[in-house]
Amino acid sequence: MLRTLRLLPHLIGIHVRTHMEYRSALVIGWIAQAVGYGGMYASIALIINRFENLGGWTWPQMALLLAFHLLAYAVGACISFVQFRDMEEKIRFGTFDAILVKPIGPWTFLAFSGLNIEYGGHIALAIGLMIWALLSLDLPWTPGLALYFAAAVASAAMLVAALMTMIGATALIWVRSRHLFAIFFGFWELARYPLNIFPAPLQILMITFAPLGFLAFIPCAVVLGKPVPILGDLAPAASLLIGPLFVILAAAHWRWCLRNYQGAGG
Amino acid sequence: MKVSAYPAFTVTAFLSRLVYRNQVWSGVFGELVATFAFIAVWTAAFSGSRNVDGVTLPDMVTYVLIAGPLLNWNTTRYIREVGDSIRNGDVTVFLLKPLHYPALLFFNQLGNNAFEQLTITLPVAVIVALTVGLLPPASPAHGLLFLAFWAVSWCMLFLIATLTGLLAFWLLTAFSLEWFLRGIMALASGAVVPLWFMPGALAALLGHLPFAWVSYYPSAVYLGKLDAPTSGVYLLIGLSWLAALAALAGWLWSRARHRLVVQGG
Repeated sequence: MLRTLRLLPHLIGIHVRTHMEYRSALVIGWIAQAVGYGGMYASIALIINRFENLGGWTWPQMALLLAFHLLAYAVGACISFVQFRDMEEKIRFGTFDAILVKPIGPWTFLAFSGLNIEYGGHIALAIGLMIWALLSLDLPWTPGLALYFAAAVASAAMLVAALMTMIGATALIWVRSRHLFAIFFGFWELARYPLNIFPAPLQILMITFAPLGFLAFIPCAVVLGKPVPILGDLAPAASLLIGPLFVILAAAHWRWCLRNYQGAGG
Repeated sequence: MKVSAYPAFTVTAFLSRLVYRNQVWSGVFGELVATFAFIAVWTAAFSGSRNVDGVTLPDMVTYVLIAGPLLNWNTTRYIREVGDSIRNGDVTVFLLKPLHYPALLFFNQLGNNAFEQLTITLPVAVIVALTVGLLPPASPAHGLLFLAFWAVSWCMLFLIATLTGLLAFWLLTAFSLEWFLRGIMALASGAVVPLWFMPGALAALLGHLPFAWVSYYPSAVYLGKLDAPTSGVYLLIGLSWLAALAALAGWLWSRARHRLVVQGG
């Protein structure tokens, strides 16, 4: 365990150095991605500007929701998305088999040797928007609320990484799993809006089988003191437990898929 | 190469998409989710109001379908394919053949678009029509004008995306360009928020840029928000923009093909 932890900075360092060879491209990429999200966020701001609120959420509240959504996603996805999106190629071309014989756990190697610093633009935009939103909202901060807020971001990021791991691991059995990311991003798209604007069956789905309601809406509703459909008073605890719970599920799924992996190329 | 030979690329592009059938149902799912998300957003925005600025909720549901899946402004796949072919050197294969690369891209995209309209937009439109309801064109004249605007929209999007993709000959990557365009299109095409809900100055500015002909004007014409003579004027302006962008693309291509630096292949 300690040996693995000592290896991680080296794995990350090698990957970061390769990105830094193309420094200008990296920085332009960060700015471009921030502009990409900014265009959509500006559109949402225009809707709220015209209609005053969206499902009872004002623009500063929506800005907090969007910033939380982007930050938790970026933190979770930087150790998982590209790495596990490309699993089916690794399996078809046999390169995953080479990872299996390395003296380090395959998940650890995949996640950290491919740590994606291209999410810098996401994180910068999210933090900037979040600071503006929190300053505009004038929340009654206490140490407990601040601790909850930080823990909720961590839990939501864990949820993202766990779901992406589960989708990527499925390729070990099905060979193809990339199309499942389309389903993930379908619900991810919904998760940037207040859950209460959707019909009840979709709200239930977003809290149970496709739990991306926990990605931003539930923690933000808790912080803002807004009612959370279905969960009610359980929302604060549930939003903190969902990340670790899905990490346990993802670890079990990953191990089961590895045990049943038979190869598909080489 | 004769122009009559190019439609074969359209057929090939259509048939090659048939091979990846699992992308169809994930594509339908993705579009359905996005469409119903925006319908929910407008339903929440209109809560209690039957009419805002002369626009009703059924207008906006129809607008979401036309400006979303039908006139799909998402060019991610296309620009990344062009960028990848420049980065990995595949583009040289096309340069060695007796064909015009931008024309090849045009006919290829036509096949891809026909495939997506049939397998993704049509099922999504049927589901939305049956569950939420869709409005017919405001009048037969608006319906006919919409068809002309639809063609202009498709050509405009193709030219904007191609101009963006061709810049990869200089930058060697289309990744950042595609993200920049995504942000601009989300706001300036009017696909997410129609120009009639934007502040006056912003709407006036965006209403004169070519992006508005991709989503806003075709949808507004279909819903009868522009009368027939005004629609005709905007159609002419759109055609002028098309001519200008086509000339720019032709000029850019003439410069780009002398500038190719292949990184691999």
